[in-house]
Amino acid sequence: MNPETNNPYNPSQAELISVIEESAAIKTFVFRNTDGGFSFATGQFVELYVPGIGEAPFTPSSNPAVKEQFEISIMKVGKVTGVLHALEKGALLGIRGPFGKGYPLDVFKGKEVYIIGGGVGLAPLRSLIFSLLNEKNDYKKIVLRYGARTPKDIIYKKLLEEWKATSGIDIKLTVDVVDAGWTGNRGVVTTILDKNDVAIANAVAVVCGPPIMMKFATFKLIELGFRDDQIYLSMEKNMSCGFGKCGHCRVGTLYCCKDGPVLTYDRIKNAKEIWD
Amino acid sequence: MPFYSIHKKDFQYFISKLSKTYHAFYLRGEDSGFAWKNDSRRRLFWQEYGGALEGLVSGAVRAQDPLKQFFFASKEKVSHNFRGLEDKQERPLLLIGAKNCDLTGLMITDSVFMEGDFKDPFYSKRRNGAFIIGFDCSEPIETCFCRALGINPFPEKNFDMSIADIGDVFLVEAVSEKAKNYVSEYKNYFKEATEEQLKKRQDRRSEASQAVDANVKKNQVPVKDQLAGIMDKGFDSKVWEEEIQTCVECGCCNVVCPTCHCFFLSDAKKANDNIRYKVWDACLYKDFAVVAGGANPRKHLAQRLRNRYDKKFAYFPEVLGMIACTGCGRCIVGCPAKIDIRRILKNLIIEALA
Repeated sequence: MNPETNNPYNPSQAELISVIEESAAIKTFVFRNTDGGFSFATGQFVELYVPGIGEAPFTPSSNPAVKEQFEISIMKVGKVTGVLHALEKGALLGIRGPFGKGYPLDVFKGKEVYIIGGGVGLAPLRSLIFSLLNEKNDYKKIVLRYGARTPKDIIYKKLLEEWKATSGIDIKLTVDVVDAGWTGNRGVVTTILDKNDVAIANAVAVVCGPPIMMKFATFKLIELGFRDDQIYLSMEKNMSCGFGKCGHCRVGTLYCCKDGPVLTYDRIKNAKEIWD
Repeated sequence: MPFYSIHKKDFQYFISKLSKTYHAFYLRGEDSGFAWKNDSRRRLFWQEYGGALEGLVSGAVRAQDPLKQFFFASKEKVSHNFRGLEDKQERPLLLIGAKNCDLTGLMITDSVFMEGDFKDPFYSKRRNGAFIIGFDCSEPIETCFCRALGINPFPEKNFDMSIADIGDVFLVEAVSEKAKNYVSEYKNYFKEATEEQLKKRQDRRSEASQAVDANVKKNQVPVKDQLAGIMDKGFDSKVWEEEIQTCVECGCCNVVCPTCHCFFLSDAKKANDNIRYKVWDACLYKDFAVVAGGANPRKHLAQRLRNRYDKKFAYFPEVLGMIACTGCGRCIVGCPAKIDIRRILKNLIIEALA
């Protein structure tokens, strides 16, 4: 898309080529952009359009190095996601974007990357982890701490097993509510964050999950010794246009869509109502 | 010198010539004729030009409806079955009678829609193509408080040509290249202005400014410098709770405001057509900030009213160096609950000083 002359409100076509069930409420949708190439930087988001119904913002969960197709993992929560969950492969949807600023991999290079996810928040983080693994030697260490409500709500189970076994990522999971088969940690994700997980002086923390989880994870990270500017948050606000015009997603002096959605805590901590 | 005089009759001919090229609109009173009395019940509206400037009001005050509507329509089709509609052919706009509160408001909407990584092609095209004729305000009404915010009641920026009604003739200032070219193209209509005519304009401008100053004083409206940092100090003020008691969330303050720019994208399905509209939104509406799943960061009306002020008196000063209120007073006139921005600002200042 040429940002000077083209119409950024107009979606381009994307064909749904498969649907993967991740949990009772979360599915991964695999798309091919039929209008030509589509590329994004990890952490950027797209507006996914259901023709005639509406659209909603999502961060792709796939590897940005894969250009032919892209994936978005979506939890069924509202009107647009409800319609999306009923779709089958072959459906023709639309996308706009990518928009916003993603994870600054250049800044992360040479550092230990401490990734903290909650629930469906693992989706954008999956894309980040793929990106880190693309140039694995550039990062000192990758640590993932992930919390879900119940063992059934853990998404990307197979991939997590695979990463545990072969990728060298230090992974720990936790659930709030256990079931009979669960032998791992019980409790919210902050209970598995430990100051010895990473060398904090040379680390960045990346947090993505529901607002309440991000709030307490941020406070915990600060307690562990992270500086505000070492904490990267994926902010969720109402993003309608996606590029700083419609006015909905303002956080203080920033727009979540064009200045974020990934923002370091120091940039937003003085804005009001950020966790609401 | 870019100053000319033009006979009122010749101005009509001049507009008639320009209207061959442009889609013209002008400021019109509720009743016809040039007469205008300082009566806030009598209102001015933008009227589409139909061959004559019937009922043109050549001074008075701003229209009831904001100028932004011409560049940023209240509802506009922006996509149709995956086709962008940015190439649709439209005649450029000729706007006759823009006032400085609206012209200053364009600073805000221009920065929103024409800057950044992505531009709004609809706004940009209309804005760049428009020929704007500003008029001096001759009779500010009681709700006008532009001068408190450092804005004068006569065109200062964002216009091509300005007009002051100085009695028997209009005094014309040609500012843009386009305007200067028209003056030479239609040189029979334009005469070099005399010193005396210029002085008349100056006198009338002073009178109008004094009228606004009197309003500002009477209503104890804080001035620009006092408003720096007011949202930080007033964030937890009781003003917000007090003021929402009568608010009915109609969104009028948003739609009439020359700087409110928020909109939402609305999708519609009609048979085989999928149409997307860009529609004015209002931050006073309950669902303005609602996210997926229904969580609402601004559940309470007081938060939403405060957000509107935060955007104008904190956000824009920080990112653009200017307050996003131009003192047009439309929100005061339009509010069915009598919520008055002047009173809110005054009370915030009183509290901050306490």
